[in-house]
Parts: sequence; structure tokens; C-alpha cells
Amino acid sequence: MQNSLKRMWASLGLLAAIAAVAASTATAAHKAVNIVIWTDSDRAAAVTKVAGDWAAKNGATVKVVTKNFGDIRDNLATVAAADAPDVITAAHDWTGKLAANGLVVPVFPSATVKKQFPSYTLNAFSYGTAVKKLYGVPVAVENIGLVVNTKLAKAPKTFSQLETEALAQKKKSHSAFGIAVQQGTGGDAYHMYPFFSGLGGYVFGTNKAGNLDPSDIGVANPAFLKNASLINKWNKEGLISSKVDDAAAKNAFLKGQAAFWITGPWNADTLKKSGLSFKVMQMPAIVKPSVPFLGVQGFMVTKFAADHGVTGAATDLVTNFMASPSAQTQLAAANFRPPANLKAHSSDPVLAQFSAASKGGVPMPNIPQMDSVWGDLGQAWVKSTKGSGATPAATAFKTAARAIADKIG
Amino acid sequence: MSTATATAPVEPFRPGLVARAIAVFSGATGLAIKMAMLAITNAVAVWAAVVLVDHSRWIGLAVLVLATAAIDFVYLFPRRWTLPLKFLVPGTVFLLAFQIVPIIYTIQVALSNYSTGHILTKPEAIKQIKINSLEVPPNGKQYEMSPARDQDGKLVLILRQDPGGQVYVGTKNGVTPLAKSDVKVDESGVPTAAKGYKLITGAELFTLDTELQALKVPTKGDAAIEAQGVRQAVELQPTLRYDAAKNQFVRIGDGTVFADNGRGSFASVSSPKDELEPGWKTLIGLANFKKLATNPLYRDPFLRVFVWTFVYATLTVFLSFSVGLFLAIALDKKGLRGQRLYRSVVVIPYAIPGFLALLVWAGLLNDEFGVVNHILGHVGIHVPWLFDANWARVSVIMVSVWLTTPYFFLVSMGALQSIPGELTEAARVDGGGGWAIFRRVTLPLLLVAVAPLMIASFAFNFNNFGNIYLLTGGGPCSGTSSIACSTDILITYTYKLAIASGKGSDYALASAVGIVIFFIVATISGIAFWRSKSLENLA
Repeated sequence: MQNSLKRMWASLGLLAAIAAVAASTATAAHKAVNIVIWTDSDRAAAVTKVAGDWAAKNGATVKVVTKNFGDIRDNLATVAAADAPDVITAAHDWTGKLAANGLVVPVFPSATVKKQFPSYTLNAFSYGTAVKKLYGVPVAVENIGLVVNTKLAKAPKTFSQLETEALAQKKKSHSAFGIAVQQGTGGDAYHMYPFFSGLGGYVFGTNKAGNLDPSDIGVANPAFLKNASLINKWNKEGLISSKVDDAAAKNAFLKGQAAFWITGPWNADTLKKSGLSFKVMQMPAIVKPSVPFLGVQGFMVTKFAADHGVTGAATDLVTNFMASPSAQTQLAAANFRPPANLKAHSSDPVLAQFSAASKGGVPMPNIPQMDSVWGDLGQAWVKSTKGSGATPAATAFKTAARAIADKIG
Repeated sequence: MSTATATAPVEPFRPGLVARAIAVFSGATGLAIKMAMLAITNAVAVWAAVVLVDHSRWIGLAVLVLATAAIDFVYLFPRRWTLPLKFLVPGTVFLLAFQIVPIIYTIQVALSNYSTGHILTKPEAIKQIKINSLEVPPNGKQYEMSPARDQDGKLVLILRQDPGGQVYVGTKNGVTPLAKSDVKVDESGVPTAAKGYKLITGAELFTLDTELQALKVPTKGDAAIEAQGVRQAVELQPTLRYDAAKNQFVRIGDGTVFADNGRGSFASVSSPKDELEPGWKTLIGLANFKKLATNPLYRDPFLRVFVWTFVYATLTVFLSFSVGLFLAIALDKKGLRGQRLYRSVVVIPYAIPGFLALLVWAGLLNDEFGVVNHILGHVGIHVPWLFDANWARVSVIMVSVWLTTPYFFLVSMGALQSIPGELTEAARVDGGGGWAIFRRVTLPLLLVAVAPLMIASFAFNFNNFGNIYLLTGGGPCSGTSSIACSTDILITYTYKLAIASGKGSDYALASAVGIVIFFIVATISGIAFWRSKSLENLA
């Protein structure tokens, strides 16, 4: 009995020792300035290297945490301050949501730095209900373009040329559609945007202050509705079909069933490896210029930097170092996108063609109300281009506009 | 007799496999395992305690300390009355951690305004509003900057105006021009040396963060030059003024008052829709439930989706059970050749991960390119499997049945074997036909065992997010809303509500729906279990 009691006390001592170790690891504080960066797996290596250069130069340390791209936005809202990042890789269309949540802080790069970026990339990261402020430094840009199989068709100068050639190839290959553009049951308002803008559609108008106005919804504006009958025509002749999803669109183009494919730089590698001769261009104007949505990716400083006492370091990293041409070249290349900085160059000819296809493009609206738009706008296209039994386009888009307005309230 | 007993070979006592396995864990090994487990538990508790202290959660800390002490006591100082606790404690801990706490948390969220724009605490929100309200004044200047110390060791900013190139020193009293010749700058214009000041360089730059952020060099009116990073400074002025006593913000330009609206925002008194961003998370009572009950935007789809969810779960369970039972009976026949092979084939869908199977099915059922329509095309049939509302409903039920049938096949097979053969034999002797025996003997006895599983399967399918989301994404949408589409069940509707509604995400409203779903499932299951109990009595 005596013995067993002794054993118990010895065990308790052991427990206490382990507990002490656990406690000391939990409280271990870092002394040097440490910046935590959240980024996606594509860019992790490049960010580690670029931020590492900065850290080495400035006597700081950097910890890069890899996350799914979308999770960066979502997890930032729920993360505990102790584990929170000081700097994040972000898409410009998160700006409104993150700023409205109070999770990111404005940055003020010098005029010299700002001059190195196209103004739309800075606008894309600007948000404010009254006065717009810049919340991020752009790194890479992306947009979709019209990929033409130059063996099967000539690069079209007008939309009617595109229509004729696409339908000719459709007939020749007994395919169900002319232009390979992805939709599927869920819809894809992003890939359909060149058609949407070409018919005179827009998502949000701007108010006097130049800010996006969520009460001005242009999904069924009169100019667009006037041209909407063209969608019915395309549906009837099979130029586009909502039954085509991403895999089907890719397949059709790579197998030569479709001569035209609407896609972005994420497929540049696939295109190069396909052995097809191709050219990327902006889709010819329909009634108005058929411009794509523009996406800009960049870096933001979070509110947690102040909590961690590293605002100065985080701001310096983002506004000076990440903005520099050399950092931009490396970061953009890692994700296979053209860099945002005008002085940084992408030597890739395919990316350059995608860049050229962005002319006049519209940055995806970055206000949080955009969340209410994607689904309904995509569904309007699905319903009006699903072949037989399709809803007339005017009805579908009017329904969508009403649903969006209801949701935004 | 007695000699026979004595000479009979005495079988040495050989404990069974289970007993031997348990024996391995008694004695020293068992004690070591117990101590290891307890040590891990205590280590986790200490780590949790440090975190709790860090966040000043004293109630949580008290609960943690008491609970950990109780666990240690139960396992280290056994008493007669603590013996049952040894077996109850682990289960109770997991019940609390994974059932009760999430439910309490969900209720708490449902009573709050947790959504886009309302995730911070109020003090944090006020701090962010102040930061967001800073604006470059008209003719506001930008500077390249180097923090430095003057002779007294006070922090100052050496500033070089950009563009322009004039140099200044900024202190908490204001800016003073310096002679251009006294200041050296690098190629990007950042001052590198200034006569009479000691510039701060290297790693030290980053360590004076709080001091640097606090230094505001006043210029005109409310405007001040503030450091941005460690190489730039910008002249900024606030556009809003916070009045802590009145708990409100006032816009400096036009005097508009933004008062706490009780729903987690500072809103303009004259036009309440004009709110300052960000807001904060706060409790708003039953407002979310009220919204569900009264706002037609949520109420109408809710009822429609509820009906479909019920139909979907019911049909999936009954069809799977019927098919599974049929197959089980068909393959139960004694002496059937290749019985094992047939049985294995039937269970295959169970062996494929559901998520993969669903994506494969989505491909197979693709309208234009799917194999199913390709084959049907040969006989001139074309079915819009995923593009027509009713066909999409047929598709999801069909695929759910395909996925669930093996389960009911397995449980029916087991239950059938447990029905004593004498009963069916007796029924046959009494002159019962095959169908009558099945109806009156086999099925009732089978249901005793299978009914609770059917209820569980119903509850599972009622919330079968994966099946719907991966197959149709809830689509196709035919009504006016993309949040409640033709195959959306309550849980996918909730998900869409949570991530894409109004001004972004509305977790609070989604939690309210979640609680409603919980009560629906609990009620239905409760009634069903009560009914199945009467079934048991019958048997």
C-alpha cells in the first residue's frame, strides 16, 4: 500500500513535469519581429523566397503559411489573433468584404510606387462607402480571352465572323455547340461576362463619388434587354450551350471539336502542351466591346499586424518590397500570371496575349454585395442557353435582376 | 467414479483471446498507458489554461481546472464510489465537447448578428472605423521618411517631401524645415543621414512599432503626418470624431451623427441605412427567427425546400430499404451458386467513397456528354437529367438510392439470418403461402431490428449535404432565387444562405435555420422511435 501510494505521487510528479513543458511551449514568445504571411500553394515558394530576401535585409523573420486560396479570405474572419497573419495574399474582389469586416487596413504607397501600376489595378483594391481607400498592393492580373484554334479558323475581326466560323466548325464536327465556354448546372457568370458586356450589360453602376453603387443593378438594364434577343438566337443555333461545363469545354477545344475556347491564363500551360496552333485575343465586340472581367491579385496588411506590433514591418514589406518590379516578376511567374507592375515583365508570349485581351476590361466588383450576384447572373445564362425549352433571355435576366435586388435589400 | 474423475485429463485453463488481450494491458503496461493518457490529458489542459489566461476567460479557466482535477482524482485515487465514473467520464467529456458545446454555440450565433460586417467586437470595430476614417486632406503631402532620435533621445521623423524634395524634421509638436545640404537621401529618396540626428536603421526599425505608430506630427487643424511602414509618411486627417460619452461618431465635414443602432452598427440618425463600416458582433435576440417567419424572401423558399427535403429523405430510405431487402431475400436462398460473388457486387457502391461516386454520377448523367444519355440516344431518348427540375429530383433520388441500398442490403441480410427458422416453418405448417409468411412473420420481425436504422438513415439523408451539393449543386434553379433551387434540401439551402446572401455571408441567419432543422429532425425521429417501440412490443 505504502509502495503504491509512493508510485502515485511519483506519477503525479511526472505529470507536473510534462505539464510544465507544455506550458513553456505555449508561452514561448518570439523576440525578433516576425511577419506571418498567408498565401496559396502556387505562390508559397515564391513568397517564401521574396519575403525571405526582405527579412534577411531587415533583420526580421518571416513565416509563410500555405492555405487554399479561398480559405485565406474565410479563415481570416475566424482565426484567433495569436495565430492570425500580418500579411495575406488576396484577390481584389475580396477587398469590400474584408474591409467591411474591418480585417484589413488601408495602405499608402508612395507616389513613385503607385505610378508603376495601371490605375485599374489600384482601383480594384480600393474600397469605401464614402471615401475610397487602397487596401492592397497588386501583384498579378488575370483575365479570360478568346482562344482561337488557328488551324481550324481564322482569328475573327467581327462577332458575326466569329459566329459564322464557330457554327461552321460545329457542323463539321457534329458538335452540340460552337464556342466552348463553360457554364454547367451551377452557371458561370465570370466566363460569360464578355457576352454580357458585349450586349450592354453591367453589374453595378457607379455613384457620383465614383464608388460602385449596389442599388444600381445593370443585370437587366434597358440597353441590354434590347439586345437580349441575340441570346435566344445563339441558343437556337447552338452557338453557346449551358450544358457545357469546364471539362467539356476544355475537351472540345483540345480535341478540335470547337475552334474557339473562352478561358484564362490558368490554362496557358495546357494550351502550350496541347501542340495546337492557337492565338489568344479579346472576343470581337457584339453591340458594345466584349470586355472580360479583370481579376487582380495582391497583398494586404491585416488589422492583426497592429495587434502583433508589426504594422511598420508589414506595411514596409507590402508597399515597398512586394511592389518592386523584381518581386513582382517572381511572384507573378509562380502563379503563371502576368505581373501587375508595369516595369516587371513576363517573357511568356501566351501570357502577353492574355494581357492584351484585357483591354478595356472591368475589374470584378469588389463590394460585398457581389456575393448576391454570381449565382443569379450565372443562372440567367444557364436558363436562357440550355437548348430546347430555354427561358427567353429577357425574362431570365429580369428575374435575376429582381432576385439580386431582393437579396441586397 | 471418483477414480475416473481423478484420472480424467484435466484441461489446463486457457483464457480466451479477448481475456488474454485484456491481460496484456493490466499490471505495469496498463499503468504506463493510463499514466501516458492522463499525462496527455493534463498537458492539453495546461496548454488550454495558458490560452484561457491569455484571453482572460476566467469562467472557462475555473471549469477547466475543476474538470481536470476531477478527472485526475477519478483515475489516480480510486474510491468505491468513483468506480463507475472511470467508465462514464471519457464518454461524457466527448459528449460535452462534440455535442453540447456546438449546440450552445449555434444557438448563441443564431441569436446574434454574426455576418459580413459584423465579426469584430465593439472596441475593435471602433478602432477600425477610426483607422478607416483617416483621409488624405486636400493638398495633403506624402513623404519619404526615416525615424531618428534627437539629442535628447526623443523619436522624430526625418521627412523628405515627395514630390518636391524639401526636407523636414517632424516631432510631436510639428514640422520644422531642415537645410537640404544637411540631409542625405538614397536612390529612392529615403533619408539616410541627417545632421544633428541619429537615424534608426536595421532591425531596430521594426522593434519601435508602437512608439512609431503613436507619433503623430500635427500640421493643420486635425491633420497630422503619420508613419506608413518605416520608409513613408503621409499627411492624414480624420473625417469622423468618436464621442465615447455619447457612444456615437460625428462626421466632421457636415456634423452628421452616427449613433449605435442596437444592431451592431453606428448608423446615421437621419438616414438609418447609412452605416459605418465595420460593425460589430452583438446579440440581437430572435430577429433572425422573425426574419425566417415573416420575410417572404426566406419564408417562401423555406417551406418549399422543407417539403422537398422530406420527400427526398423519405423516398431515399424507403426505396433503398425495399431494394436492399429484395436483394437480401433473393440472395439468401440456400445453395445459390456464386452467392458470395453476387453479394460482393451488390455492396460495391458501399465500398466506393461517396464523394467520388457522386462526381462520377454527375458526369454520367451529363445532358450532352454523359454516358447515360449517349446510350439512351441509340433508342431515340434524351433525358435532361440535371437540367429539368423534375428530372433532377429523380436523378438525386436515384443516385441516393444507389448509394444507400448496400447498407440496407447488409443490415437486412443480417436481420434475416437472425429470424429463427422455426417461425417460418411453423407458419408454413399452418398453411401460410410465401407472401403471407413474408408479410406476417418475416417483415414484422425484420422491422424490429431495421426500423431504428431506417430512422437514423432518414435523419442522415435529411441532412445529406454531399449528395445534393456534388450532384446538382441544388440546381436547376427555376424560381426567382438562386438560393433555393429545385433540388436544394434544407442543409444546402442553409449553406447557400450562409455564404451568399445580401451583403456577403450571414452565419447568424444560417444558424437559425440550422436550429429549426435540428428541431424538425428531432421531432420526426422522436415520433418514429416512439412508433417503432410499439412495433417491438408487438413482436
